[in-house]
Amino acid sequence: MSNPKKEVLLKIEGLKIQGFTDDVWIDIIKGVDLILHRGEVMGLIGESGAGKSTIGAAAMGYARDGTRIAEGSIEFDGMELTTATQVERRALRGSRIAYVAQSAAASFNPAHKIIDQHTEGPLQYRLRKRMEAQEDAMDLYQRLRLPNPREIGFRYPHQVSGGQLQRAMTAMAMSCRPDLIIFDEPTTALDVTTQIEVLAAIRDIVDQFNTAAIYITHDLAVVAQMADTIKVLLKGEEVEEAATEEMLEAPKKDYTKSLWAVRSFQRPQKARPADGSEAVISVKGVDAAYTGGAKVLDDVSFDVCAGMTVAVVGESGSGKSTTARVITGLLPPSKGEVLFKGEALPPSFRDRSRDQLRQAQMIYQMADTALNPKVRISDVIGRPAEFYSGLTGAALKQRVDELLDLIELEPSQYYNRYPPELSGGQKQRIGIARALAAEPAFIICDEVTSALDQLVAEGILKLLDRLQRDLDLAYMFITHDLATVRSIADEVVVMKNGQVVEQGPKDEMFRPPHHPYTDLLLSSVPEMDPNWLTTLLEERGVDNIGEAARTGQRAP
Amino acid sequence: MLTFVIVYYGVLIAASCAAAYFKQRQAFQLLFSLLLVSMVVGIVGGAAGLRFIAIAACLLAAAAGISYAFREFLVQIAKPSLARELRTAPLTAAFGMFIIFVYAVAAIFAPWIAPFGQAEVIDSAFAPADDKMLLGADQLGRDMFSRLIYAARNTVGLALSATILAFLMGAGAGLWAAVRGGWFDTAFGRVVDILMSIPSLIFALLILSIFGTNLTIIVVVVAIMYAPRVFRLTRAVAGNVVVMDYIEAARLRGEGDWFLIRREILPNTTAPLIAEFGLEFCFVFLLMAGLSFLGLGIQPPTADWGSMVRENATLISFGEITPLIPAAAIALLTVAVNFVVDWMLFRSSGLKER
Amino acid sequence: MDKLLRLIGQRLGLGLLTLLVVSVLIFSAVELLPGDLAEAVLGQAATEETVAAMREQLGLDRSAPVRYLEWLSGAVVGDFGNSLISGERVSDAISERFSNTLMLAAYAAVIAVPISILLGIMVALLRNTLFDRVANVMTLTSISSPEFFLGYILILYFSVKTGWFPAIASQMGDTSLGDYLYRTFLPALALVLVVTAHMMRMTRAAIINLLASPYIEMARLKGVSPLKVIVKHALPNAWAPIINVVALNLAYLITGVVLVEVVFVYPGIGQLLVDAVAKRDFAIVQACCLIFAATFILLNLAADVGSILTNPRLRHPK
Repeated sequence: MSNPKKEVLLKIEGLKIQGFTDDVWIDIIKGVDLILHRGEVMGLIGESGAGKSTIGAAAMGYARDGTRIAEGSIEFDGMELTTATQVERRALRGSRIAYVAQSAAASFNPAHKIIDQHTEGPLQYRLRKRMEAQEDAMDLYQRLRLPNPREIGFRYPHQVSGGQLQRAMTAMAMSCRPDLIIFDEPTTALDVTTQIEVLAAIRDIVDQFNTAAIYITHDLAVVAQMADTIKVLLKGEEVEEAATEEMLEAPKKDYTKSLWAVRSFQRPQKARPADGSEAVISVKGVDAAYTGGAKVLDDVSFDVCAGMTVAVVGESGSGKSTTARVITGLLPPSKGEVLFKGEALPPSFRDRSRDQLRQAQMIYQMADTALNPKVRISDVIGRPAEFYSGLTGAALKQRVDELLDLIELEPSQYYNRYPPELSGGQKQRIGIARALAAEPAFIICDEVTSALDQLVAEGILKLLDRLQRDLDLAYMFITHDLATVRSIADEVVVMKNGQVVEQGPKDEMFRPPHHPYTDLLLSSVPEMDPNWLTTLLEERGVDNIGEAARTGQRAP
Repeated sequence: MLTFVIVYYGVLIAASCAAAYFKQRQAFQLLFSLLLVSMVVGIVGGAAGLRFIAIAACLLAAAAGISYAFREFLVQIAKPSLARELRTAPLTAAFGMFIIFVYAVAAIFAPWIAPFGQAEVIDSAFAPADDKMLLGADQLGRDMFSRLIYAARNTVGLALSATILAFLMGAGAGLWAAVRGGWFDTAFGRVVDILMSIPSLIFALLILSIFGTNLTIIVVVVAIMYAPRVFRLTRAVAGNVVVMDYIEAARLRGEGDWFLIRREILPNTTAPLIAEFGLEFCFVFLLMAGLSFLGLGIQPPTADWGSMVRENATLISFGEITPLIPAAAIALLTVAVNFVVDWMLFRSSGLKER
Repeated sequence: MDKLLRLIGQRLGLGLLTLLVVSVLIFSAVELLPGDLAEAVLGQAATEETVAAMREQLGLDRSAPVRYLEWLSGAVVGDFGNSLISGERVSDAISERFSNTLMLAAYAAVIAVPISILLGIMVALLRNTLFDRVANVMTLTSISSPEFFLGYILILYFSVKTGWFPAIASQMGDTSLGDYLYRTFLPALALVLVVTAHMMRMTRAAIINLLASPYIEMARLKGVSPLKVIVKHALPNAWAPIINVVALNLAYLITGVVLVEVVFVYPGIGQLLVDAVAKRDFAIVQACCLIFAATFILLNLAADVGSILTNPRLRHPK
């Protein structure tokens, strides 16, 4: 809890940071103030481009390549960082302010053992001798509940899993017992079940050593577990700041309220048509493997009916994207088949007819890589219409205008533009329009909202929902985000290690009793309740979290 | 002599102070380092050394001035989108463009610029330079200057055609392999590995020893030797594009390979390919210069820089620099192309070095 | 560890296969001669009889594959047959000259490799400063100059004008090492100039490429000093590209030496090759080509194995 009587550790005033783009310096942080007390944890939250990470780095007196601190003061424990020399600033880093990066796998040097990277700080600052530093590292590994704490440090980074590396990096940040740690989206790259262990470990260690922390994330539920106070940022400016509970219960600003409201979108669940009509797509007993590799899909079967949305849920490596590749024909199955309205589709897309290709379309996760940056919007959307329906000239233009209208973009404004000129949400809409241009019966949506900010994501979900009703489309929604499942799915398929663990209508799936894995997955999704993590850990038993996540089983 | 030294240092010190006073950081750094270098050279080499430094500095300044003016000129006449790119070009790149421009003019208008024909015997062998012959005569009494101009046409033209041929083969195969993938890609890759493990100059010598010094054969052999390099780069660049989702989307739509190459891949690979063309030209150009220096390239009496060096090499032992001029012509063009390529590569690498 | 050995084994096998294919190429290139070898060697003055005798002598009546196998089995033990012009044994002509070429290349390499790696690291550390820019312009200029240009400039200034070093490195005889180094200083320097520029640029690029990785930023945020960031965090990961660069340039030193040898009239294998090409002495041309190609392939192989061995992911498998 923030306490005004406590000693101020970090004080940022009127901070302005500029970034160098297209040969000019542009403000990316436009005057931000921040006060952090000893032992306090502050959550910095905002959408992409809000400048969270930049402020985090600035708190260490560090400006990333291509940025510069233009104005304002950063005072750390009485020392002004903006006017300090390089050497003075460097002496703080690692020893008194430490940093935990988003991707541990990329942030550990592949050429050195984990423990040698851990002890680099203490040795450099002559805080400990090598042996002591190693003992201390092992102690920290134990506290962070890493398996084999006495040995794990002697491995190389690529020999250790992502969740464990993330904890090892937190341990490394602790190596000099800093006063302040900057956590820069430390769990964003992890699966939900792994995220829990890391969150619990981080919270414990920060508590134990009474370290102050700045926790940067875009995930509200996560920050609710970790922070004493929350500061909301938007486009380089502060929106508001308050103690966590206060912020969760009564946000003041409209922007914050809209962020809070995002997860409320939910549409009524539809049931399968009673007349027994054929499913649009049915996957029947599919096995698949990549050339020379082990099986990645094992006897996968499910149906997608017209006008309905089936959400395929699972963690990375569960085979959900592979299933999509089998359906589209990019990866021919080794066993089983895919039926379209009762007719078997040729296994490879090369053997499918133009009409078969047209019927199943795909919308991708990353709109950046899904749209060719050098092709005009009118051509991106127009090409499928031209290709499948043979439209040309005025008819083609009219069709493109119609499609742009359909995705709620003003045709005249977007017709001649190129993808890089659009925002993330707009690009995703163009991706949707391209799929619609083929007039398909079935669309695969591969994590379509996971790269988007929450507000924008909600807009996309609503659009997809409306299109489904208007055009009677069948969707297969691939996602790892259960909030998305809750809001848009009719049926859910839970996958793990290439197998379907459980499937059924959404309501049933969210209601106990369910399969232990589904249960683990469901319970691991952070909730907005600040006590969620504590309660969950008590429920599961502290020593059990790591184990549970690894085996996917939960002690009864 | 003494006045020169005093004036020289005086001007430099005054200019440095002025730069420092007006807070022109770069100009100050430049002037001051020049001052320091001059002091060292002055102590070691005396006034002659200083003179050398002063001349070198003036030449550099002149080159910088020309480059600056040429860049401004290009910015003025170019389309707005291109002009914005050009404005970011460093002076070295502008210098490169200017030199390329000069060579192009020399090559295209050679018969009008050169006072004599390339095979015309004007004077006695190794006649010194005079009003008639700017650079004197070569070993047969032909005008060096005229031959130098004509050689721009012959040497550069030959290297350019070999580069274009290599590029058509390499880039074509690279794009195709990237799109087709599978065994087709692997087979191409293996062939290229083998071709690249043969030293190019050596292989060129082998082939020339068999077929003789025929121009067509030289061009084809050199193109085959360098196509694998282009293939590798194209394959790598296109390989980065092929994994994009928009290619998958186009494939799933049922588009053919040709559409993928032309509409989806090529627009995203032009920048690195143009840079590679420049680099490739440098390699080919140097290799061909080497061959003709060995007497295995363009045959006399056609003028060619490489063979001109060889023919007049004896002059060097008399301390003459004329035989070095054709060699310098080769170096200057290669440097110019490299300067431009360097800038283009820097642009396309997304300024990540900053 | 098995995986590592297997990878290296694969590379060696592939290198051997490449060498075999190249030897076939070199052999069959001569088969492509218009007419046949005997006619080509004897030229237009030849009579029917002399050509027939030559054919007999060269064994051209046998099929090409048989002759290839003979040639190859001879080559493996260092026997390349006899010169078509002088009748001298090819191996005698080559052996001494090849060791001369290797000496010159080694001389240049010993100077160039350490200097260029050090300078490469230095410009990477000082990137985007005036020093870096000047180094960039100078290395580009050096790369862009033909070897004979550099060679003649060196002769002009260090030999003709000042007389510090001999311009011609031809009379070898029995000389002491010091004398040898003095006589061959200019050719070695010409090679050093070209190769250093290449290696420096590539080392710089390899290191700067790595500097963008997150673990480098992590090291900076741990308070590691700039020099240590490069030496301890970037360099260990840059070995693979640097080894490749060095191998590539050593290979270049041995093959690209031809022009420098001609300029300085150095009695190396390159000079021999050029003479043989002019005289159309195919036995020598083939032998030289095979030796050059083998050296080239071996060095590339060494680079591949080196980069496998320095890759931590391969050295310490899961």
